[in-house]
Amino acid sequence: MTERIWEVFRQQDEGDPMVHAGNVNAPDDELAVHYAREMYGRRGESHRLWVVARDAITELDDPDLLRPPFDRSHKKPGGYIIKHKLEAAKQRAAAEAGEGSDE
Amino acid sequence: MSEAPAATLDAPAREALAELLLSVADDEFVIGFWDSEWTGIAPMLEEDVATSSIAQDEIGHARALYEMLATLTDGDADRIAYGRDADGFRHAALLNHARGDWAFSVARRYLYETADAVRLAALARSSDEPLAALSTKMRREETYHLQHADTWLRRLSEGASEGRERLVGALGRLWPDAQDVFAPLAAEEELVRSGLLAEPMRALHAEWQARVRPVLEPIVGELPALTPSLDGRTRRNDDFRWLHGELTAVYRSEEGATW
Amino acid sequence: MQYASFVIESSDTIQPLSPRPPYEAGDEAFYAHVGSGGKVEADHWMPDAYRAAVLKFVEMHANSELMGVLPERDWIMRAPNLRRKLALTSKIQDEVGHAQLLYRVAEDLGKPRVQMFQDLLDGKTKFHNVFHYPTRSWADVGIIAWLVDAAAIVSQQALRDSSYAPYARTMKKICWEESVHIMHGRDVVLTLMNGTDAQRGMVQEALDRWWGPLMQMHGPPTDPAKDKDLHWQIKAKNNEQLRQEFLSIYVPRILELGLTIPDPGLGYDEAAGRWHYTEPDWVELKSVVTGHGPASQERLEFRRTSFADTQWVRDALLGGAAAAA
Repeated sequence: MTERIWEVFRQQDEGDPMVHAGNVNAPDDELAVHYAREMYGRRGESHRLWVVARDAITELDDPDLLRPPFDRSHKKPGGYIIKHKLEAAKQRAAAEAGEGSDE
Repeated sequence: MSEAPAATLDAPAREALAELLLSVADDEFVIGFWDSEWTGIAPMLEEDVATSSIAQDEIGHARALYEMLATLTDGDADRIAYGRDADGFRHAALLNHARGDWAFSVARRYLYETADAVRLAALARSSDEPLAALSTKMRREETYHLQHADTWLRRLSEGASEGRERLVGALGRLWPDAQDVFAPLAAEEELVRSGLLAEPMRALHAEWQARVRPVLEPIVGELPALTPSLDGRTRRNDDFRWLHGELTAVYRSEEGATW
Repeated sequence: MQYASFVIESSDTIQPLSPRPPYEAGDEAFYAHVGSGGKVEADHWMPDAYRAAVLKFVEMHANSELMGVLPERDWIMRAPNLRRKLALTSKIQDEVGHAQLLYRVAEDLGKPRVQMFQDLLDGKTKFHNVFHYPTRSWADVGIIAWLVDAAAIVSQQALRDSSYAPYARTMKKICWEESVHIMHGRDVVLTLMNGTDAQRGMVQEALDRWWGPLMQMHGPPTDPAKDKDLHWQIKAKNNEQLRQEFLSIYVPRILELGLTIPDPGLGYDEAAGRWHYTEPDWVELKSVVTGHGPASQERLEFRRTSFADTQWVRDALLGGAAAAA
């Protein structure tokens, strides 16, 4: 049996990211593209499709690599909470300016 | 489409255009019906969805053409489509046949799509602007149909022997009636004179033959030189009478009702 | 799928590992994971019982979409105007599409598509009750697209949160598509109800026939403690919840058209906050889903014939490369 599985990625509108939509059974590239269009584009709902043989995809899902245990907050915006420091700095600056005007 | 084309056409031209529109509309309507029968029972699930889309496209084209005709003749698209007797239909004899097996449907679709492509190219140059615009629109969808028809023709002809035999048999049986997509229209002289039809049907027929022979003859062997029949758009058979009975069954059950 | 999970050892050799789901292998950890809303993918470890339960559930759903095509298919040729012809063909096409989506999900759990078709045709696997009944008029087309699809969508919306992620994702797509079908169905029914006496009569007659199967559709109330599918979060609501939801939305919509629902025992109990109704015929349900419905055998036979008639095409297509060589 020479049937294979093809993964289909779609783009909703121009500029949007390609998002995984599903998969189709087909004997080859040519029919896979036809069928991807039918399953994920026949209503005019997609701007673009990528059709990729499943066995061409390399997957990574190891949590040790993708969600490793050590602190990595310095790599994300949420790792830089400045609210209190900013408050403190503003208050100090305001106080200094107030002292200066007394002289 | 905001203005009726009728405003700019004299009576003979209007009548000629009506005949032309009806012939194309009926072709699309009838082939859409036959192929919609594959919905749910095509050879593979994905192919089922694909074939149904193509059949729906044809019905959509038919609808647009019937609507154009309705505007031209001050009629109603549904009544034109559903309100005639079987003998009132003007589709090509190629489309009289039931869908048959998969090879038969593939063969008929290939013959029809290639012929329709030639016809649409001519209609896209029609002196009637709305018709030219509609034809250009239809051609965009028909590209996909042609690709699909070609894909299947190749797969069956190049694959296992049973598929090839069935395909060859179907092409042989359908070849004579396929000519009738180019059957002469009664008002052909007027159509060509007024530029509504860019070229006479016999020229389009020759063009189609030149395109498909090199593709088909390697598969089926030499194809007889045939010309379209005079009754190519008026003769009917039992298959089509059955279809007509089905498609009008509910419509006729309550005369004038809205569904 | 190929797995590129690596461990980079000190000597820089790379060794592939087996897929690592976000939980330990083992029934207890798995149950804790799905119980707290965790998701499962096709290539994750899962208890055999879970795999079997999901497969059975999805396979029956896929079968139902495929068999569900047949009651309406006859009417593709008889649709009474151009718009209805397009809408009905499109709707049935969608059902075939749903079958494709669901057989794909089931196939990725390990059962080949052709095996599933064979089991269906051999009567070894089931499909939902409503698809075992004949259609008799154009009004059936409206009632099925409106109410049968509505009853189905009530279940399907609950399934969007299934623990089995590929199924949940598929259900989101299916629910979106079904919402269009329900609009089409309701439009058909409304048009008939606004039409002639004969057309209205047609709708009432169809409703009279379909009400029984509709009430049976969600199945008999089950004991939540013993419901495996709930246990594994394959489905999120029990049968009775689904039926109540269906009644709450659709009974008012049916009655407002002037239709009569053929159950004198149907009514809403304000105090209890639930609908009461004449107990559906669970014997009929069991008999029907085991292949004894009025149209069960005829439909399975039709499927067998169509499938056999097109076997040469599949052989030509899939054996093509080998055969032509």
